This record gives sequence, structure tokens and C-alpha cells, in this order.
Amino acid sequence: MTDFLSGAGVVFSLEMRQRVRGVAWYVMLGVFFALILLVTAILTIVSNVATSGRTDTSSAGGGAFSVIIYFVLLLGTLVAPALSGNTINGDRDSGTLATMQVTLVSNWQIVMGKFLAAWVTALAFLVAALPFLVFTIVEGVRPLTVVVSVLVLALELGVVSAIGVGLSGLITRPLFSIVVTYLVVAALSVGTLIGFGLGGLLSQSPTTTRVYSSSSVDEDGTAIECTFQGVQHGTTPRFDRVWWLLAANPYVLLADAVPADPTTDYPSDLFGSITYSERSVQLAPKLNSTRNDCDLSSYSDASTTYQHTLATTTPGWLVGLIVQLVLAAAAILGAGLRLRTPAGRLPAGSRIA
Amino acid sequence: MRDLARSFGSVHAVREASFDALAGRVTALIGPNGSGKTTLMLMLASLLKPDAGQVLISGIDPTVDPVGVRARMGWMPDALGSWSVLTVRSALETTGRLYRMDRAHASARASELLDLVGLRELADRPTRVLSRGQKQKLSLARALVHDPEVLLLDEPASGLDPVARLDLQHLVRQLAGDGKTVLVSSHVLAELDEIADTAVYLEDGVTASVDRIAQARRSARLWRIKAAEREPLRRLLLLRGDGPVTDDRGDLLVPVAGEAAAADLLRALVGADISISSFAPAVGDLEHTLLDLNRTADRA
Repeated sequence: MTDFLSGAGVVFSLEMRQRVRGVAWYVMLGVFFALILLVTAILTIVSNVATSGRTDTSSAGGGAFSVIIYFVLLLGTLVAPALSGNTINGDRDSGTLATMQVTLVSNWQIVMGKFLAAWVTALAFLVAALPFLVFTIVEGVRPLTVVVSVLVLALELGVVSAIGVGLSGLITRPLFSIVVTYLVVAALSVGTLIGFGLGGLLSQSPTTTRVYSSSSVDEDGTAIECTFQGVQHGTTPRFDRVWWLLAANPYVLLADAVPADPTTDYPSDLFGSITYSERSVQLAPKLNSTRNDCDLSSYSDASTTYQHTLATTTPGWLVGLIVQLVLAAAAILGAGLRLRTPAGRLPAGSRIA
Repeated sequence: MRDLARSFGSVHAVREASFDALAGRVTALIGPNGSGKTTLMLMLASLLKPDAGQVLISGIDPTVDPVGVRARMGWMPDALGSWSVLTVRSALETTGRLYRMDRAHASARASELLDLVGLRELADRPTRVLSRGQKQKLSLARALVHDPEVLLLDEPASGLDPVARLDLQHLVRQLAGDGKTVLVSSHVLAELDEIADTAVYLEDGVTASVDRIAQARRSARLWRIKAAEREPLRRLLLLRGDGPVTDDRGDLLVPVAGEAAAADLLRALVGADISISSFAPAVGDLEHTLLDLNRTADRA
């Protein structure tokens, strides 16, 4: 084990020296910092204008400033593929991969060393964003929210780095593997939403609704007599079957991982609202229901309130994390297997050295 | 190494290669571009799995125990890749660390190698500023980091200036003298002539048999003769009728079949009182053999 770590450690430190000293890396870090500064400044000005004259600024701050955390996630997942998507095939192109493969480091040490280096490099961006994340506490975001967000951000950067390094081992051309890594990020960020929507619509279930409505009313419109009007047949999309797709979305995952404020009856910020929606779609729709137009209380359902829904549904972040970790592990595993030497089959158009 | 074969799809890069390289000797691997030299080297360097046949390096099969082979084998690739931001010294230290040396040992070994290959002055420059020849030296030093028993040098002299080439020849001879097995591939035959003890000829992925090489070595080859007066020499050569006499840059070229015939010819020329100033094969041993092998292959 220590042998494995020391070999991977040499690859890691080599990789760090090779990448971090690049000018492009510092430029990217600077642009990243400037963008978050800009967004934070605009949000601060806007929220100060909006809340001027009000004494309670905390709830407005909490709502608006969760946006900053999302912005860091967006930029982080945009930067990480560029940092990781050509680590292995880039080395092969510059002729330094084979010289490493003939030494006593194993394929797994190479892949793990490169993955850790890519992750740490991406984490530097999170560190650059930390002042702004801490600043959101000043503006009313709960400290627990920020702490959990930072942990999830770090994990997300790790997942994207792992996918990037994995694809750079599996795909021969550096440009192509970077693009595919971006496509995977897009698939997770946007594709899961589309997949969730389409998946829910594709699997519909028939519903029957027994409808009662008032047949006579008194002067102030209150129903005196309710009669059975018949049965309505319809279909309903089954989002409860594809909700895990939604959970694999990094933004939903982050929102769901942040613990909800147990004292409120309604979501208090952006993360809470997103979590509430994602948790609600886990509930199977009622296929056989009764609608009584006379009894308005039949519309509200105690089982769908915020706190009750949170308590009775699966933690989405856990499911999402498992989906993402499986993807990341598969990518790393694939790259490790591809780097096995002596190599058997080689993909067309590739060279060893 | 026995009956080695490796193909890439429909391209049979190496079809039937067999040879032994002995410890303490420099073995040349000779063949034209695209003859499968580098593929062969990659199989020997434990990077590529043979489709058929077996490689043994110090008695170990790289497909069975690649780590065992790598601990004993140093490979200098034909492609010149280097970690561009690292200094020459830290590139060598890192290589040492990749061979599981501790920091102090790797650093000491890097210092030794800097002197050995003559990169001492450039030790603290980043490797990206090195010239092609300097990168070749770095690549050779990298192959020597763990003091391997077996050295595989793929085109080591390409891009070297004459002085560096002599240094390389000296170093390779010295390594073989220390009892290492050295395999050098090249298509520049003159440089191999000077360092190789034995040669393996590779053509279209097939190694030439010992018989064919012996036959090729015996076949007539051109000798270059330089004399103070050219015309009497030409008359005499034509009289002897060894073959067509051609002019080349002021010298005369004539085919001679083997060493004994050459000795006879020289004796005859001296006997005829022609003042000879130079009498030597027009092409090197290896080149002659390779060209003759190619010719017989074309006829076949």
C-alpha cells in the first residue's frame, strides 16, 4: 500500500509541477476569481437596493446568495474538464507516457497520480472561490449550508476530474477527450433535466378519478348536495420512476445535500425549493383518486407538506452521488485498463511511444 | 527472443524475428525505415505484447513479469519526449523516483549521469530549451538511471553532432565492457559499424538468417582505390578483369570478392609499382550486407 502511494505520489508531484506552472493556469484562476467577484458585487448591490427600508435582510440574503454557490459550481465544472481532459493522451502525444510506463510505476499508479493531481488543481479554483462563499454567510446564508456546499463542490470537481482523466486515457486524441468530458458535464447538468422530463412523459400510467360536484347550492354558494358525476380516465407522467436522473444533476445534488432548515414550513432559499421539487417527484402519483368539488379541504394533502416530504423521501444527494461515483470509477477503471502494459490490442491510429 | 510476431490490424509490422543479444556485447539492429525496428524495440521494452513468440530479457518474459524486466532493462525511445518544465536534473531525479529510488539516491544518481552523458552545464535548465542532440543525451541518461543490465537504444545517434556521436560510441562501448547487453537500432549503418560486435538484420519484420548474412558478406563488394597516377591503375584493373571499373570523386571503384581477393589485388598493384595511397572497402561491412540482402530479396 505504501509502495502504491509512493509511486502514485511521484506521478502526482510530477504532474503538479508540469501543470501548475503553466501561465494558462494562472490566467484561468484570475479570470475565475474576477468573474465570481463581479457576480458577488452585483448581487450585493442589487440585494442592498431591494432590502433598503427593510430591517430583516437575512432571508433575502439567503435566497440570493445561494446563487453564488451555484455560480462557483458552474465555473468549476467548466474549468475542470480543461484541466483533466488531456492528462494521459497529452502525455502520449508529447512522448512522455511511454517513458513513464517502462519504469516501475504501475498503470494504476499513473492513473491515480494523474487523477489526484487533476483534482487538486481543480480544488485550487474552489480555494479561490472560498472568500466569496464565506462572504455569503455575512449576507445571511446559514454556515452549515456553506460548509456542506464546499464539500459537495469539492466532490463534484473530483467527479469531473476523474471523468476527464479517464476519458483522456480511453480516447486517443486530446482535443476529442476534452470535448467529450465537456459533453459529459453538459449531460449531467442539462441532459439529466431533459432525460428526467422525457423519461417521465414516456412512462405514463392510467388514472381514474371519481368526481363529485355540487348539484345544488344555497344563496352564498355553499354546496348543499353533492352527487357522483362519473369517473374520469386519464394518464399521468411517472416522474417517480426517473427521479434518480434528476438527483444525478450536480445542481440538484448540491441543493439536496444542504440540510433543510427544520423550523420552516416552506423552503427558505433556492436550495430548499429545488430540494422540495426533487423530493416531491419521488412520490408516486395517486392513480385512483376522488375529487370532491364541494369539499375544498380535499385539495390539500398533509402528506405533501415541505417537512413531511423531506422526512419521508429518499435523500436525493446520496442517490446522485452513487450515480456520479459509478461514472467516475468507470472512467478511471477504463483508463487504468487501457494503460496496461505490455499492451495487447491498440486502438487504430494510436502509437505507444 | 524467438519467432516474434506482432501485427496492427492488417499491418504485419514484425512477422518472424529471432535473435539473441549477448551480455557484454553491442548488438546492432539494422533495417530500413518501416522494417519493424521500433515495434520490435517496444516488444522488448515490455510495452507491447507479441501476438506470437517469446521474448526473454535476462531470462524473464515481459508478458509474465513486466516489473522484473523493467527493473533490469533501460529503454531509450526513438521519440524524444521530455517533461518540458522540469530541469534536466529534476527530470533525471524524477525518473529515479519512478524506479523506486529514495530521494537521496535518485539525486546522487542524477548527478552521476549528468557527468556521464555530459549535460552538467545544462543541469538546471528546463528540458524544453535543449537541442535535439541534448535531448538525446537526456534520453540516454534516463535509460541508465537504474543501472540496467540490458540497454535498448532506439536510434540513439540521430541528431548528434560528430563529437557527441563519438562520445556516444565511447559510452556504449564502455557499457558493454561493463558486461551489459546493449541493443542498438539504427538505419545509419556507418555509426553502427563502429560500435557493434554483431548485427541483426530486420527486413519487412523478418530477421535475416545467419546463412544469408554469411553469404552476403562473401559476395563481391566495391573497393575504393586511390593512386598517384590514375590511368596506369585503371589499365591494370581492366587487365585483371575483376569487373567494371568506375570513377568516383577522383578514385576508382572496382568489385572485389572477399578479403582474400582484396589482398591478392593489393599485392598485384604494389608489384606493378603503382603508388597506392588508399585501398579500402567503399561501403562499410553492415551496409554492404544490408544492401546485398536487399538485392537478393528483390531477386527472390
